[in-house]
Amino acid sequence: MSDFLRSYLTVAIFGLVGFALVGAFLGLGRLLRPDKPNLAKTEAYESGVDPTGDMWSQSNIRYYIFALLFVMFDVEAVFIFPWAARLEAYEIFGLIEMAIFIFILLLGLLYAWRKGVLKWV
Amino acid sequence: MELTTTWYLVLSVLMFSIGAVGLLVRRNPLVMFMCVELMLNAVNISFVAFGADLNDVGGQISVFFVLVVAAVEVVVGLALVVAITRRRSDANADDISVLRG
Amino acid sequence: MLALLAQQVPDFVRPDIDWHAAAPELTLLTFGALVTMMDIVWLEKGRKLTSIVASIGLLATMVPIITLAVDGADRSMFGGAFVVDDYALIMKAVFILTGYVVILLSTNYIAEGDYWENEYYGLLLSSILGMILMASARDLITIFVALELLSIPAYMLATWRKRDLKSNEAGMKYYLMGVFASAIMLYGMSLLYGGSGSTLLTDINESISGPGDPSAVVVLGIIFVIVGFAFKVSAVPFHTWAPDTYEGAPTPITAFLSVASKAAGFVALMNMLFVGFFGRDDVYEPVIWILAALSMTVGNLIALRQTNMVRLLAYSGVAQAGYMLAPLAVAGDVPDSALAATVGYLVIYAAMNLGAFAVVIAVARKTRTAEIDDYRGLFHWAPGLTVAMTVFLFALAGIPPLGGWWAKFRIMGAVIEANTAAGVVMGIFVAVNSVIALYYYARIGVKMWAEPAPDDDTAPVRVPVSLTSALVLTAAATIAFGVLPGLVGEVTKVSLLAGVGG
Repeated sequence: MSDFLRSYLTVAIFGLVGFALVGAFLGLGRLLRPDKPNLAKTEAYESGVDPTGDMWSQSNIRYYIFALLFVMFDVEAVFIFPWAARLEAYEIFGLIEMAIFIFILLLGLLYAWRKGVLKWV
Repeated sequence: MELTTTWYLVLSVLMFSIGAVGLLVRRNPLVMFMCVELMLNAVNISFVAFGADLNDVGGQISVFFVLVVAAVEVVVGLALVVAITRRRSDANADDISVLRG
Repeated sequence: MLALLAQQVPDFVRPDIDWHAAAPELTLLTFGALVTMMDIVWLEKGRKLTSIVASIGLLATMVPIITLAVDGADRSMFGGAFVVDDYALIMKAVFILTGYVVILLSTNYIAEGDYWENEYYGLLLSSILGMILMASARDLITIFVALELLSIPAYMLATWRKRDLKSNEAGMKYYLMGVFASAIMLYGMSLLYGGSGSTLLTDINESISGPGDPSAVVVLGIIFVIVGFAFKVSAVPFHTWAPDTYEGAPTPITAFLSVASKAAGFVALMNMLFVGFFGRDDVYEPVIWILAALSMTVGNLIALRQTNMVRLLAYSGVAQAGYMLAPLAVAGDVPDSALAATVGYLVIYAAMNLGAFAVVIAVARKTRTAEIDDYRGLFHWAPGLTVAMTVFLFALAGIPPLGGWWAKFRIMGAVIEANTAAGVVMGIFVAVNSVIALYYYARIGVKMWAEPAPDDDTAPVRVPVSLTSALVLTAAATIAFGVLPGLVGEVTKVSLLAGVGG
């Protein structure tokens, strides 16, 4: 067997052990616990309001806007991490560069706030 | 069997082709955006694979830019879809065909 | 991965920043931020001011471009990723002036419509910022970032009339084709990087232009990159988005897309061909040749059947892209003439096409449509516009002594000078297509001058000051370029690109 496949053998063994453990615990529980079926037990909530309707429902389009804003600012952070990792090396030059970068991002955020996109109506 | 750069490039070609075919065949804008992401991520894999192969950091740096621009592109695309769905109940590239061509 | 990055990077050396060379970009960036800040502070109350601030921003950006041109020295930054040479300065000036004319065209169009106005000018400035950055970009990543910076605002601007289905469709089509194209181009760039080990165009050129056959990776990379830009310049068979997007987008944005965006695609393509792929003409010349011949022929033939002015200009723009590609198809044989011919054509095309769209906007103020039949009898109610439109259409057709004639003459000169079979056949293509194009341009002329107005409606149209000044500027440029061909000839003189091998 080649080295390449052997390194995957470990993964396979881990997977098998994982499945076996879960199976063993569930099976053990099945043997030990009392078995008394009841219709009420199959409902999603045993107490409280009965669930109604389809579980696929459309979310409000407003959530999209928040998600979009989040994705954008989240991804821009990828430029800040490498800078932060070598903060000392870049000295004051890097600091000013990053300040300009963040200032432009901040303009975007301010714009979104001013246009009322961040408000939860 | 060694996992060489070639394998990563083959993976990248496959992903790119799936994305390109999907973009041309599918008609739901959201699925089309996913296909665009698939194509751009294929590019990322190819950049990183070449970068590792050449022992050059340029490939990884390119990925940063591709990643961010891809996110921005998709955000603009989704914003267009949101703007369209505010007028119409569903978004389908075939439904948007007032114009010829 | 970050730890890996930190290990590999050698000690950080602070890059020398030539503030003078970066001044145009920085000025425009400052004004773009200013427009956004005005919007943040005043919201709708700033409406009146934004177009003024945006045009001041563009004129202010011209100042460093002129001082750089007077200085004349080639400047290079970041290891050659950002280069300021004569070619870059000419193209920057074209983008800035085009942007200025587009703002003149937009002022009334946008102010009278029910659209967001502040964002419109902010996005327009960002798009122009991407274009002037593109003129200096000599690195794959820089080119990519510049391309996206100019495209992404354009997607939004094309959808600006967001309550209009046509505009929605225009933006959506433009967006989908645009991202598809940039993905293809990016894949080509990754292959080029893999084949050469660098993202700098000069390094790529050193590595791929050696004797012997290029590797398959490099060939694929070159073809993918060219195809990506072929979408941007709307060359056949990658032109399908253009007519629909042009028709649906707000007309000033259509003018912007068909002039500035197309020119930016050409600038990127020329950066690639004359710096990155220089000496690899055995790979790129056939591809460009096919694109050029197809674009001219198909563009002109479909334009013959159009009934809508904007769609006609869209297809004529496809054909014009073919003319501009023609000298690039012999770029390996006569690099200097080819570059000068294409740059010269771009400058003149900008003037005449912007002018034609200015007339379309002016006429639509009365007719509300852009159907060619509504141009019947234009002479009876708008003689000034008729004369202007005739000038622009005949310039586009290439009739002496207008600018377009001289531009086409230079293109013929370049392809003939190449003295290859491919060059001569290309010359024949250009000549035949010019005759076909003359037919549909002249047909509009006949409708405007000879036919009666529909319903004898000869009420004059009020053309606002900004639109008039745009018309005067573009018409003056179109005529001046034709009467004084030395003007462009002097400006677009050969060996513009710093570091071209030949």
